[in-house]
Amino acid sequence: MTDATIACTVTVDGTTVDVPAGATLLDAARAAGAAVPTLCFDDRLAPFGACRVCLVGVEGSDKPVASCTTPARDGAVVDTRDPTARRVASAVVELVLSELPDAPAAHTELAAVARDLGVDQSALRWTGEVHARDVDDRHPYLVLQHEQCISCGRCVRACDEVQGAFALSATGRGFDSNIAAGLDEGFADSACVSCGACADTCPTDAITEHLLLDLAVSGATIEGTAT
Amino acid sequence: MSTTEQRAPSVGARFEATVTTTCGYCGVGCRLEAHVSDGAVIAISPAADGPANRGHTCLKGRFAHQFTRSRERLTVPLIRDGEPGSFREATWEEAIAHVTGELQRIKTGHGPDAIAGLASSRATNEDCYVMQRLMRAAIGTNNIDNCSRVCHSPTSHALRAALGLSGATGSFDDIEAADAILVIGANPTQGHPVAGARIKQAVLRGCELITADPRRIELSDLSTVHLSNRPGTNAALLQGLAHVVIRDDLVDRAFVNARTEGYDEVAALAAQYPPDVVAEICGIRAADIERAARTFAHADNACIAWGLGVTEHKYGSETVRLIVNLALLTGNLGRPGAALLPLRGQNNVQGSSDMGALPDTYTAYRSVDDEDVAWSFEAAWGVPLSRAKGMTIPQMFDAAVARDLKAMFIFGEDVAQTDPDTAHVVHALESLELLVCQDIFMTETTKLAHVILPASAFLEKEGTFTNAERRIQLVRPAIDPPGQARTDFAILTTLSAALGHDMGFADPSEVMDEIARLTPDFAGVSFERLGRGGLQWPVAADGTDAPILYADTFLVGDGRARLAALPYKPPGDEADGEYPLILVTGRRLEHYNAGTMTRRTGNLQLLGSETLEMHPDDAAARVLADGDLVTVRSRRGQIELAVDVTDRIERGHVFCAFHFPEVRTNLLVGDSADVNTSCPEYKVIAVSVRGTHDEPGIGTAITAGARSPSGAVPTGSW
Repeated sequence: MTDATIACTVTVDGTTVDVPAGATLLDAARAAGAAVPTLCFDDRLAPFGACRVCLVGVEGSDKPVASCTTPARDGAVVDTRDPTARRVASAVVELVLSELPDAPAAHTELAAVARDLGVDQSALRWTGEVHARDVDDRHPYLVLQHEQCISCGRCVRACDEVQGAFALSATGRGFDSNIAAGLDEGFADSACVSCGACADTCPTDAITEHLLLDLAVSGATIEGTAT
Repeated sequence: MSTTEQRAPSVGARFEATVTTTCGYCGVGCRLEAHVSDGAVIAISPAADGPANRGHTCLKGRFAHQFTRSRERLTVPLIRDGEPGSFREATWEEAIAHVTGELQRIKTGHGPDAIAGLASSRATNEDCYVMQRLMRAAIGTNNIDNCSRVCHSPTSHALRAALGLSGATGSFDDIEAADAILVIGANPTQGHPVAGARIKQAVLRGCELITADPRRIELSDLSTVHLSNRPGTNAALLQGLAHVVIRDDLVDRAFVNARTEGYDEVAALAAQYPPDVVAEICGIRAADIERAARTFAHADNACIAWGLGVTEHKYGSETVRLIVNLALLTGNLGRPGAALLPLRGQNNVQGSSDMGALPDTYTAYRSVDDEDVAWSFEAAWGVPLSRAKGMTIPQMFDAAVARDLKAMFIFGEDVAQTDPDTAHVVHALESLELLVCQDIFMTETTKLAHVILPASAFLEKEGTFTNAERRIQLVRPAIDPPGQARTDFAILTTLSAALGHDMGFADPSEVMDEIARLTPDFAGVSFERLGRGGLQWPVAADGTDAPILYADTFLVGDGRARLAALPYKPPGDEADGEYPLILVTGRRLEHYNAGTMTRRTGNLQLLGSETLEMHPDDAAARVLADGDLVTVRSRRGQIELAVDVTDRIERGHVFCAFHFPEVRTNLLVGDSADVNTSCPEYKVIAVSVRGTHDEPGIGTAITAGARSPSGAVPTGSW
C-alpha cells in the first residue's frame, strides 16, 4: 500500500500543487483548480481510462495521456489546455455524439463535456448510423434508454464497486455495444436491488428515472402518488 | 460549489431547489440531496460527501419519497365522532383545546402518572426532546418511552454497563479499516443497505467475514464462515467463540490485563462451552465455530456488527454483553477498524433515546433520580420534576388494560402494527379514556384514537437525526407539510403552551442550543457547527467530536471495561408437538417498518406482499408448494399468507416480515421479553403452519379474508 503522506509536487497550467503519492494527474489538476472534462470517470469508482476525454499534455511526453489513470510523478508539468489533447478529446466526443439519435439533454455530463470541448451536435464532421430508440420502462423507478448508452461502463462499475449487486453487464461489440440488466430481462427480474447507483452515475440519461423523464417532457411537477 | 456539482456539472439545473438533508429511513444516516420543483420532491440523490454513505444510497432513501404527496396523508385535525374509527374534521384550535381539556381533566382526577407519551424514533432529536419535556414539565410524569424499547434497548443497556456509553464504539468507516467482520443477528444488505454494501465491498477487497444468522443471508454467500445457529442460541455461540479464543491462547493479554476486569470469571465460564457442546445447542458444526473464532481472533483489527437478531430475545441484553466480551478478549476496541457497530433500526432510534425520551433518563442517559441532573432541568424549565421512574411501553399497555393509565399521546408510532402481542396492545388502546395520535397517515393505531393531529414527514421538517454511529446530522425541509398538517415541533410546542408550559423556542435550532446547555455530552453541538458532515457525540464544548470511543479509557468504574460471565439460557419460547416450527421475524429491503411510508410508493411494485419463508423439506412434509396460502398459528394468534419455499432458511424454521397490515405478523408474538429492558422476543416464536385450504371447515372464509387488503384479521377480537 502506498504511503499517502508522501507528497509529490506537480505543476498544472502554471500552478504548483502538492498531491499525495498514488494521486493521478486528474487529482493534481483538480487540486490546482483546472477543469478537465471526463466521461468514464466517477470519484466513487476505480479509474477506468476508457473514454480518452480526460487527455492532458505532459512535458516530456510526445503524446497526450489520460489524466485519470496516469500517476502523478514528482516534478511533472501538466498542460490541461494542450492543443493536441483537446483536439483528440473533441474528436472522441464528436464520434460518441455521432451515434446518438438526438443531442444529449442539457443537464447531462455528456452535454456539459461537449460544451466544454466546443462540440456541436448539429455540426458533426462525421455522421452515419444512429442508435434506434429502445426503451425499457418496466421498473417502477428506473428507465433504460439503450439508444443513449455510450458504453462508458460507469453503471456496470457502480453496480459492482459501490453496491456489489453485479446486476449489470456490458453487451455487444462496436456499434452494438450497450448494457443489460441481468440477461437483459430488465432491472426488476435481474439481481438488481434498485439502489439507483447506475442512474446516479450515468452521464447521458441512458439510465434515468421515470419522474425525471416526466419532468423533462412536461416541465411540470408530478402530483399524487404511485399507488 | 458543492462536491456533487463538481461530480456532475449540470445536475441540479433541472430543479428549482436542491436541499441537503438526512435520510428518514434506517439508522445508517445517508446524507441526501432532495431535488424540488413546484413544491414536490422530484428526485433524491446521495450527497457525495455524506460520511456514512459516501455518494451512495438505497432504494428507500433514493426513491421512496412519493409518500409525502400521497392523497392519503392526514391534512386536517380529526376528532372521534361516535364509534372508534369514525372521525370528524376539526380546526387546530378545537383539536388543541380538546386535547388540553382532556389531559387536564385526567391529570386533575387521576394524577399526572395516569398519562403516558411515546416519542417517535423517526422524528428529529428536537421533536423528541420537546416531547419528553412536554411529558415531564407540562404534564409532570416520567411516563415517556420510544420504540428503541422494542429494538435496541438491550444494546443500550449492555454497552452502558460494560463500556460506559450507549452507542457504537466507532464509525461505519471502520468497516473499510477492518481485517475481519462478524455480522451476527443482522441482515445488513436488506435492513441497512448502504452499510451492507460497504461490508460487501470490504469483503470483496479481502476482509474476512463471519455471518451468524438462522437464515443464509446475502452476505453469507461471501463469508469465510456462515453459522446458521438456531434462534435464541446466540449466547451459546458467543461463549463457544470465547472458549476457542481462550483455549487457543488468542486472547490479547496486554489489553485484557490493562483495560478490563472480570477475566477470570469469564474464562472459567467459557471453559464450559467447548465447540462440540455449543455445536449441539446451536445446531451447527463444531469445526465452523473453531474456524470462526480463529478468523476473528487472528485479524489485526476486527469489527462486530449486530442487529435485532441479537437484541430481540429474552436474553438479548446479556448476549450483547457477550459480544462486548469477544471484542474485549481480542482487544478489538478503541482504534480504527476495531469497532462495535450496533445497526440501529430507525433513522433516529439512537437520538430519540439520547434525547431522554425514556422513562428513566434525561438527555444522555442520566437518571431521573440523579438529584443534580433533575435539579438542572428544574432550573431550566422552572417546574418541579418527578424523581420516580416512569413506565416502559409494555408497562404502559399493561397499565392501560388495568385502567390505571387513562391517556396516551402517541407520536409517530404504529404500536398496533409493530408491537408484540397485538391483541393485547389493541385492547390496551381501546381501554384508554384518551388516545391522541400525531402522525402522517391513518394507521392501525390512529384508527383507535380520540384525536389525530396531522404531522410532518422528514422531508418537511428542520432538526437533526443521530445515526447508528452517534453522528448528529442536520435535517432540512425540502417541501412544506400538506394541507393544514404542521411540523411536529410546532404541534408539540403549541400543545405545551396550551397546557401552561411555554417552552419559548422560536425554532428547532434553539432546542438544540438548550440540549447543549443542559447536556455535557452535547456541549459543543449547534446547528451551525454540524455543517454538512455532522458531529459524533460526545461533543466537547469546543466542538471536538468522537468518531472512536475508548481509545485510552472506558467510561465505567475505574476506567476498565467490565467483562461479564453470563451463561447461555434457552429462549422464552420453544417448539413442541403442537407448534413444531420456530418463526423468526425481520425486515425486507423494499419496505420499512410498518410500511406506512414505503407501501405508498413504487416500492410496492417491487414487493407487493409478505411471504413466509420455509425450507423445502418442511414444505414437502406439509404438501405445500411455493405460493400456497398457509395459516400460521402461535400460542397467541394466527395469520395467513403465501409460502415462499427456499433453502436460505434452515429446517425447522420459518421467516416473515411485518411491513404489511394485511399480514399482522406481531399478532403471533407473545409476551416473552428481554430480562433487563423488556425488549420483546420477536425472534423466537413457536408456530404451526398448515395449508389454509387444509383447515377443516373454515378454509374458504379465511382465504377470502386474507385476500382483502384491510379485513384479513379482525382487530381486537382476540
